[in-house]
Amino acid sequence: MERRYFLKQSALASSLFFIPGFLKAFENSHPNNFGYKRLVMIQLAGGNDGLNTVVPFTNDDYYRNRPKIALQKNDLIPVSDSLGFHSSLLPLKNLYDQGNLTVINNVGYPNPDRSHFRATDIWQTASNSNQYWQTGWVGRYLDAYGSNAYNAIEIDDSLSLLMKGENNNGIATQNPTNLFKLSQDPYFKNVLNHYNDEHLSEHNLGYLYKTMIDAKSSSKYIFEKNKIASNNAEYPNNQFANQLKTTAKLINSGLETRVFFSSLGGFDTHANQMNSQKRLLEIYASSIEAFVNDLKKQGTFNDTLIVTFSEFGRRVKENAGNGTDHGAASNVFIIGNQLKKQGFYNELASLSDLDSNGDLKYTVDFRTIYASILQNWLAVNDEQILQQKFSPLSFI
Amino acid sequence: MKTKQLQHLFLRTGFGITPQLTNDLSKKNKKKVVEFLFTTNSFLPLEMDLSDLSIYTQEYMKDRANLMEFQRKSNEKIRDFNKLWMERLANSEVLLTEKMTLFWANHFVCKNQNIFFVQRYNNTLRKNALGNFGDFVKEISKEPAMLNYLNSRQNRKKQPNENFARELMELFTLGVGNYSEKDVKESARAFTGYNYKFSGEFIITKYHHDDDLKTFFDKTGNFSGDDIIDIILKQPQCARFVCEKIYRYFVNDIVNEKHLDELTSVFYKDYNIEKLMKFLFLKDWFYDAENIGTKIKSPIELLVGMQKMVPFSFQNTKDVLKIQRLLGQVLLDPPNVAGWKGGKNWIDSNTIILRLKLPSILLSNAEISIKEKGEFEDSFEKYHASNKNQKDFAKVTVDWDFFEKSFKNISFDEMKSLFLITAPNEGTETYLSHLIKSSKKEFCIQLMSLPEYQIC
Repeated sequence: MERRYFLKQSALASSLFFIPGFLKAFENSHPNNFGYKRLVMIQLAGGNDGLNTVVPFTNDDYYRNRPKIALQKNDLIPVSDSLGFHSSLLPLKNLYDQGNLTVINNVGYPNPDRSHFRATDIWQTASNSNQYWQTGWVGRYLDAYGSNAYNAIEIDDSLSLLMKGENNNGIATQNPTNLFKLSQDPYFKNVLNHYNDEHLSEHNLGYLYKTMIDAKSSSKYIFEKNKIASNNAEYPNNQFANQLKTTAKLINSGLETRVFFSSLGGFDTHANQMNSQKRLLEIYASSIEAFVNDLKKQGTFNDTLIVTFSEFGRRVKENAGNGTDHGAASNVFIIGNQLKKQGFYNELASLSDLDSNGDLKYTVDFRTIYASILQNWLAVNDEQILQQKFSPLSFI
Repeated sequence: MKTKQLQHLFLRTGFGITPQLTNDLSKKNKKKVVEFLFTTNSFLPLEMDLSDLSIYTQEYMKDRANLMEFQRKSNEKIRDFNKLWMERLANSEVLLTEKMTLFWANHFVCKNQNIFFVQRYNNTLRKNALGNFGDFVKEISKEPAMLNYLNSRQNRKKQPNENFARELMELFTLGVGNYSEKDVKESARAFTGYNYKFSGEFIITKYHHDDDLKTFFDKTGNFSGDDIIDIILKQPQCARFVCEKIYRYFVNDIVNEKHLDELTSVFYKDYNIEKLMKFLFLKDWFYDAENIGTKIKSPIELLVGMQKMVPFSFQNTKDVLKIQRLLGQVLLDPPNVAGWKGGKNWIDSNTIILRLKLPSILLSNAEISIKEKGEFEDSFEKYHASNKNQKDFAKVTVDWDFFEKSFKNISFDEMKSLFLITAPNEGTETYLSHLIKSSKKEFCIQLMSLPEYQIC
């Protein structure tokens, strides 16, 4: 049965009968309704050094392994008895103090892969490390619950695996005006106006037409919503901040988008890590600060959850070039106003009991975070989307 | 041969067919045409000048700074090699070999950052493209790029690394579920000690090689890596697995089991790839309506196909890379060892918009004419005045003369059929009939800007 038809029928039936929870989520999906939940995923691409982001300043192993690049206690923003934030993260400390931040330590998965590409694929598809999946977990969410490409938007020029499903995909746009212009060529309009959809199900050709029709209407919808919305905060002037600025505008416009995705690159700090990580974390934190303020002012922060991850952390021991090599488990930041467990979700793993590569051992599987978000935030069937059963965590 | 059959054959074995060649070959029968395909094939390596990298000796690169410099230059050369490969695809006479090379590159998926190894690997694919599959797998298992990519160098007697052994069976020969975990473990031992010299030459480090008995597919012996491959080839499933991949690539996304059986029994006899392909292209069912115009072009097929009709070349390497990236297929840079999935997977909202817009962006200043019969005003001028971004998208040199010459005696109706392998949607057909047909150039852009043009 066609999904659209199915949803329509179900909506019709819902006034009379009981309907499953996941359909209800879409039923009440009008964004002006209270409780239209959104998820913003952010990837710190390149492998952020989690240990110099949230620093165990009382841990001897930390200082022993990093004689040159360890951060000293008085350079940090103290947060707990044993952990401090990198000095670039003052805005995150503020969120922490307001109960809007949860830090989950040691997030990873069994047999971690240390290639950027593979590790990114694993995080984006939610596969095991020995599986090569061709759909992203957000893409599978769209397969099961989405109706249009704009239900998931990546702020970029092309679509990541994260947003690709078997039958449905999200849409990528760095600049809604450019995308709109590209898609609105009068020739396409004429072709699609004449198009006879009697054979819409026709294998591949039908799929091409269907995707184009959706792309054209999605880019138009995004463009028009974006045009009337505005930003209510001052953003720093950099590309990542611009991405969040666009995201905020789209959220505040009431666009029916469940998931947004952006990434900030450059974290592959094999050499001279100190300066580059400081600069990158500053870009990250100041942009997040503006973004959260923007959402708060326009009343959309309550219904937005911001999740920041990196494809892996870095080796505990520093290398010869004042940097660090590819590692494994690392921290994930959850930002929002509905957090059940605020602050540090769990303890940092041991720095003496490492895996055979000298990396942190994971204690939280990243897919349990996805399961929590799917089940408790987006109110959908997590097992169907993740294709495995994971016990959700209690942070949300 | 009928025009549609010729078009079909050349879309699958190459990137399309020009009106001239259609005309020439239409007088020949199927057997003669297929023979023509195979006689024009010879091994022509794809090589670029790498002499300026000769200073980077093993000794010189012991210095980390020099090594980093080499890596940077090497990556630059790999991008140039990508462009060179694209040019080869667009201009080559040895059609089938090049198409097969592209196919194998997505079968024996591999990626490397050393241009010498990348070029070498690419030519190993080309050399074996129509050769013996068994020899092919053995060569691949010893290529420096592959030894690197699937961690064979880390595979040692005391600490086996199973990466290559697993992918050898899962992705290259048998397919998942057709071997046991024990087979992976035991065969990994046979590939221990595989290594290469700085020059890329294959060696087995005796010290790391496991010489003890291995039990693989119920046979026990002191197996070498080559022995393992020979045992795999004895499994009929190996022939079936490879044939299925060939079927999906060259015939149809949806497999006809009966036809697959036919291919498998031919291939299993001697694993001769050329024989298999010849058998396939001579089969009547290859030309069945259900197999014509049913596949979605890969980004490379789309780009090169356009070049076949209207020759053009990119002025800058970075534009080639940009377009490949936006369309989702960067040559020499596969997403992972499973390669590109292909088919519907190429298509999402962003790629479909770009695919439809690309011909006009590259060839006609981003403009697609919409002049209809009985209309006197350029109603699209306003739209086109404002799309400067699109016009600056990529720098190309277009050979319209070639196009004008080759389509000189071709009617607009014939053009439609030469550009579109599949019958257009009814509504689209009506719309095309309303358009003013005064310029073949304009009509060519209009045809290439249709969803139907994405099909091969």
